[in-house]
Amino acid sequence: MTGRAERIGLLALPGLSFLAVIYALPLFMLLLKSVQIDGQFSFAEYVAFFSDSYNLSVLWRTVRVALLTTGLALIIAYPTAIVMARAKGFWLSVFLVAMVLPMSVGVVVKAFAWTILFRTRGVLNDTLMSLGITDAPIRMLFTETALIIGAANVFLPFMVLPIYAVLRQMDSRLPEAAASLGATPVFRFMNVTLPLSLPGVVAGCAFTFSLAISMYVIPSLIVGERQQTLSMLTARSFLYLRNEALGATISSILLLIAISVVLTSSWAANRLGARQ
Amino acid sequence: MAPPAPRDMGDSKYLDVNAVGKAFKGTSVMSGMDFRVGRGELVSLLGPSGCGKTTLLRIIAGLTTADSGEVLLDGRAITSAPAHKRNISVVFQSYALFPHLTVAENVAFGLRARGHAKTDCGPKVAEALALVRMSDFAERKVAALSGGQQQRVAVARALIVDPVLLLLDEPFSALDRKLRETMQVELKTLLRDRNMTAIFVTHDQDEAMGVSDRIAVMNAGQIEQFATPSELYARPASAFVMDFVGLSTRLNGEVIESTENRSTIRSAYGTVHAPGTFVPGTKVTIGVRPELVKTRAAENTLRVTLADAMVLGSKTQLHGRAEAGDRLLCEVPGMNSDYAPGDTVTFGWDVADSLVYETGT
Ligand SMILES: Nc1ncnc2c1ncn2[C@@H]1O[C@H](COP(=O)(O)OP(=O)(O)O)[C@@H](O)[C@H]1O
Ligand SMILES: [Mg+2]
Repeated sequence: MTGRAERIGLLALPGLSFLAVIYALPLFMLLLKSVQIDGQFSFAEYVAFFSDSYNLSVLWRTVRVALLTTGLALIIAYPTAIVMARAKGFWLSVFLVAMVLPMSVGVVVKAFAWTILFRTRGVLNDTLMSLGITDAPIRMLFTETALIIGAANVFLPFMVLPIYAVLRQMDSRLPEAAASLGATPVFRFMNVTLPLSLPGVVAGCAFTFSLAISMYVIPSLIVGERQQTLSMLTARSFLYLRNEALGATISSILLLIAISVVLTSSWAANRLGARQ
Repeated sequence: MAPPAPRDMGDSKYLDVNAVGKAFKGTSVMSGMDFRVGRGELVSLLGPSGCGKTTLLRIIAGLTTADSGEVLLDGRAITSAPAHKRNISVVFQSYALFPHLTVAENVAFGLRARGHAKTDCGPKVAEALALVRMSDFAERKVAALSGGQQQRVAVARALIVDPVLLLLDEPFSALDRKLRETMQVELKTLLRDRNMTAIFVTHDQDEAMGVSDRIAVMNAGQIEQFATPSELYARPASAFVMDFVGLSTRLNGEVIESTENRSTIRSAYGTVHAPGTFVPGTKVTIGVRPELVKTRAAENTLRVTLADAMVLGSKTQLHGRAEAGDRLLCEVPGMNSDYAPGDTVTFGWDVADSLVYETGT
C-alpha cells in the first residue's frame, strides 16, 4: 500500500519541479539579494525601509486596501455563493459563466471601462445628480474607494468559487434538520451554514488577500502614481530608480506577508476541516 | 418529559392531513391525500420507492409546501407555519447529524435553538444520551460513529425537544439486518414509553409490521389501505396491498360463471372457485396466503410441479412452476425435506380463504 502511495506521489513531481525552477528559485535569489550588501549578510536594507515614514505609509495603505478589498469581496461573494449553490441547470451555468467570463477580459480593459463609470461627468455621477442625491459631482476616480471597489470586482470570482464549492457539497438536509429542531433562519445560518462554509471562506479570503496585496495594474490605472502601493514601489525601484536591493527588499516583505497569510489560512482551514 | 395520554387509532385526528396535493414541475406526486393519525399512535407509511412517502412526510414537517389542502395538528391548522415553528422533529434517512458538532452538541441543538444557554443543556442532554445508551460518546465527533450509533444520536436529538410529533424517514435503511431488528424493538419501546406520536416511512413491510399500530400502504401518491398489520395481511384492500404486504399464491384468470357470492374462474391451471359476484368475462386476480394453502385436496385443488422447495427453519416454502405474473406458493410448518424440485404435489385451499380483485385494481 505504502509503495503504491509513494509511486502515486511521483505524479506530483513535474508540478513540484516546475514550481521549484520557475517560482521558488528566483524568489529565493531575490530574498538573498535583500539581505546582502556587497556580498555581506545584512538587514540594513530592511532597517532603511522601515525607518522611512513614506514607506511605512505605503505599506499600511497596501495592507489596508487588501483587507478592505477582501472584506468587500466577501460581503458580495457570500450571498452570491449561496444562490449559486442552490441554482440548477441553466441558472447555474449563467452564474458560472458570469464568474469566469470577466476573468478573460483583461484588467486594463476593465479599468478603462470604470473610468467611464466613475469619472466626474461619468454615468454614476450623472445618475446620482439626476436623482437629486447629490448636487455636485463626487470625485470617485483616483480615490482609494474606487480602487477597493475595482479590485473587489476583479477578484470576486476567487472569493465566490471556493465558498460556492463548499456550500454545494453541504448536505441540504442539515439546515432542514436544524429547522425541524426549532432553529430560525438566522440561527440556522449562524450555527450550521456559516460554520460549515468557513473552510471555503478562509480559502477565498486567502486568495483574494494574496492577489490584492500584490496587485499592480489595478492601482496604477485607477489611482495612479499619487497613491503608491508596495507593488508599485517595487516596480519603481527596479525600473526607474535602478535600486535592485530596495526592490528586492520590498518584494521580500510582500512575499512574507503573503506567505504568512497563506500559512495561517491553511492552518485555519485544516483546523476547521478537522472539526468536521 | 411528555405526560402520558391515552392512545387512540386516529379517531381524535391528532394529525389531520386533509386533501393535500403536490406536484413537482407539473408532475403530480399526490392529490387529495387524506391521512389521519391518533395521539400516541405509531404509524407507518409503507410503499415502493417513489410513491410519495418522503414528500408527504416533508409536507407534514413543513419542509415542503403543499400546493393544495391543509394540515392540522391537534385541531390547529399548521399548513403555512414554517418548519421551525411546528415542533415536529424529523429523523432523516441519512440522519443529517451536524458534522461540525460533537454528539452532545448535536443533541443539545434543539434546546439551544430554543434559546437555552449552552451550560443549561447539560442535564437534559445527559438524560437524552442515556435514553439511547450513548452517554459514553458525548464528546465524540459524529463522523467517528457507526451507523447504529448515528441513528441513536439522531433519535436523541429529535426527542430532546419534546416534539408534538416525530417523523422518521426510512430510519433503519442504512443499518444491516441484525442491527435493524434490534434498533426497531429498541426504538418502538422508547417511543411507547414516552407516548410519542410517530410516523415511520419505510419500503420494508417487515419493518412496518414490526413497529406500527397501523400501516398506511401507499401506491403512486394514494393511500390504498390504512389498517392494522393483521387486518392488512388478512384482508388486503387491493391486489397491490396483497402483494406488498406478505407473500401469497397469486393466479390471474377470467370469470366464466358467477352466482350469489361465488364465482368460477378459469386460470392457466384449471378452474377454481372464489367468493364474490362478478360479470362473466371479468379479469380477476386471486390471492391465497401461503399458510392457508395445504398439500392436500380442498375446495380448490391444483396439481403443481415444484420449481423449488426452500427449508427456512420454522417453515418450508414450496414454489410451484407458474406462468408469468402468477405465483404458486405453499408454506408447510417446520423443516420438511420430503419435497424436491420436479415433484408433483397437490395444492389445496378453501374458497373462503381466497382473496379476489378485479385485475387492474
Ligand atoms: N424536490 C423534488 N423535485 C422534483 N421531483 C421530486 C422532488 N421530490 C420528490 N420528487 C418526485 O416525487 C416523487 C415522490 O418522491 P418521494 O416522496 O421522495 O418518494 P418516496 O419517498 O416514496 O420514495 C418521485 O417521483 C420523485 O422523483
Ligand atoms: Mg423517500
